Amino acid sequence: MIVNSVIILPSECRGCRSCQLACSFTRHGVFNPSKSVILMERDVETEHMAPVILPRSCDLCGGDPACVKACPYGAMLVSSAPSEYKILIKE
Amino acid sequence: MLRPKHWTVHVDLSSGKVTREIVAEQTEQTLIGGSGVGWKLAAERLPAGVDPFAPDNLIIINPGLFVGTLTPGTPKTTVITKYPTFASEDGRFYVGASTCGGRFFGIALNQAGCQHLIISGKAPSPVYLRIRDDSIQLVDAEDLWGQGIQHVTNQLVRREGPETGTMVIGTAGENLVRNSLCIVDKFNSLGRGGIGAVMGSKNLKAIAVNGTRDIELARPLAYFDFAQELRKRVYAWPRREHWIKLGLAAGWDTFKHTQYPGIWAKDEWDELYGEKTRLETVEEVIACNSCIVSCRLKWQIKGGEFDGEIGFGSPFSKSATSGMLLGVKDFRKMIHLVADANANTGLDFYTTTRIIDFATLMYEMGNLSKEDTGGLELRRDYDTYHKLYDMMAKREGFGAVLADGWFRLKNEFDLDPQDYRYSGFCKGMDFIYDARPSNLHPLMMSFFTRPRPHHGGSHTRTNSRNKTLEEIREQVEAWGLPQKTIDRIFTETPYSGKFNVGRYTKHMEDMMRVKNSLGLCSIFSYQGLIFGNDLAQLYSAASGEDLTAGEMIQRGERISNLAKLINARDGFTRKDDRVPEIWFKPMDSPEGKIETRDYFNTKVIGKEDAEKILDDYYDERGWDVEHGIPTPEKLEALGLEAFSTDALVKTAG
Repeated sequence: MIVNSVIILPSECRGCRSCQLACSFTRHGVFNPSKSVILMERDVETEHMAPVILPRSCDLCGGDPACVKACPYGAMLVSSAPSEYKILIKE
Repeated sequence: MLRPKHWTVHVDLSSGKVTREIVAEQTEQTLIGGSGVGWKLAAERLPAGVDPFAPDNLIIINPGLFVGTLTPGTPKTTVITKYPTFASEDGRFYVGASTCGGRFFGIALNQAGCQHLIISGKAPSPVYLRIRDDSIQLVDAEDLWGQGIQHVTNQLVRREGPETGTMVIGTAGENLVRNSLCIVDKFNSLGRGGIGAVMGSKNLKAIAVNGTRDIELARPLAYFDFAQELRKRVYAWPRREHWIKLGLAAGWDTFKHTQYPGIWAKDEWDELYGEKTRLETVEEVIACNSCIVSCRLKWQIKGGEFDGEIGFGSPFSKSATSGMLLGVKDFRKMIHLVADANANTGLDFYTTTRIIDFATLMYEMGNLSKEDTGGLELRRDYDTYHKLYDMMAKREGFGAVLADGWFRLKNEFDLDPQDYRYSGFCKGMDFIYDARPSNLHPLMMSFFTRPRPHHGGSHTRTNSRNKTLEEIREQVEAWGLPQKTIDRIFTETPYSGKFNVGRYTKHMEDMMRVKNSLGLCSIFSYQGLIFGNDLAQLYSAASGEDLTAGEMIQRGERISNLAKLINARDGFTRKDDRVPEIWFKPMDSPEGKIETRDYFNTKVIGKEDAEKILDDYYDERGWDVEHGIPTPEKLEALGLEAFSTDALVKTAG
């Protein structure tokens, strides 16, 4: 089975949280980061942020992830390479 | 769905009591929501004549209605308070609004159901305010008092969680320095003119917010679809790539002309503070929430005595002008001061560096003696400036005089701030731009027409000097103004040039009230990316109440009048909206003589011209032109009779 994966590129993230808002809206029809399946990892010393997807909760929006479409900075990508269902976290 | 409900939450620091009430639907129907409603709360609950440092002064915090809705450029929160900057020689103070963006603060307030957070009273000992949805507590902050902003922010995020929104004051705020501001989410400054000191007077070190509620919209799908359309429009903006690369470090090519202090040659300034130094120093460009452009900066100093130092915020423009004024040629030394102001003291960099420059000039001219300064020699060197900066933050010696601001220098040593060589001055505050290199565009005018002499997010297409009349007109048409109003704005006059700056400014300010109530960042309005009719469409979907751009800006006008009324009850009139004297003294620079000119650079603007432009501003507002305050007829037309000056004074007892 071919299933897309979401690849996160933490170094590209600027912390705008568009992914969280798009996720909650797509899943629940509301804007609410705490209802998204994405947490923001925040290094408080450097203030660098990056999204972390809770893999068990994410269904990749049926193959066309809203978070990837909403990311303005190319920090989240869809990989169409054949793979098992998984979310790769790539440094 | 029905119109979403919003809440006013009142926290009294003296008693610890918290009260909540729903905002009446009719209030939002007349004043939009967000800071529009915040101004009504100020009119009803902020006593006239209150001292800014008295427990009865209020801090009213209003996240924009659109904050947290995936709409491009909508992170803004507006805070209304009475500012402690002396706004007149006789010791009056203005009630004003400041705005800021952020990644967490505004969205967390909206999610916690704090659309209007009112803080009153004074805590018996230092506290921070912890908000977790309905749980609101005052938490002991003895361990944080005396600590810098960055350290405190880090502590709060570790304690409260990674998505905590923070608003923190520094040591200057604790010490009641009258220009001190606070820092939101580490990157965003808020409230030059003294919000930091107001918080300090209340023993309130910080606010830390988390919320988990939905941000409700009446017609979510319609809202979402249009917000997506706006995102596509911003993605297609040709200059987006440049902004993404440099954020607020971009724009030197314009800045070096419009904010030129006229002391060094431009080529030399370019070499010392230009784009090359910015590119060397920027580490990351950071976005506020929902922003697809991004402008906030993380920087690192390379080389010199501050090698490796990291800072957060936006250091370049302010350090470039102040560097020239103070004669500091190493940009890294100036950026170090910005970093310290943002990370530790919370001093407002503009006022701090300019008042140091002014005092030094007066010392050089013999108008200020060593006896006046408590034995300190005011030398024109960086070490002396740094010492004064530290003394201001701590209120030590002569630093305590500077910490009280421009009118303390006037009253104590007869040094007139109108004589300061750069920027211009009104109601106790220096402006961030000077009209001579910038030209007299509407933003310049708003510095003295607004109750608080700062732009407050007024930016429109006329900010840059290179916009055509067609581009300016396109934006005004999208504000939904009647044709006869548009015709008045674009009627050429001998004193204002091809468009009427006074009449334009009135509507620009009303639009600013709309943007601030909704949370739209002014970058999106001045770059011509989001217009008034777009905001009306979003608002209709958000509230379920269909309204046009023209109806929207009328509500902005109502908010502008309310803001003016609150200040009129404390005696502010046209006499206080004084056009700065320095703008009419030519700047003698190595590039030649620079005079205040009209927007299209066709003529010199004299003092009489500026007064006529101001006449037109009040006339366009339908106000008493002689006194610069709303007329009874105007108040009646706007449904604000209940807030007339007499009624407000009576309310205040």
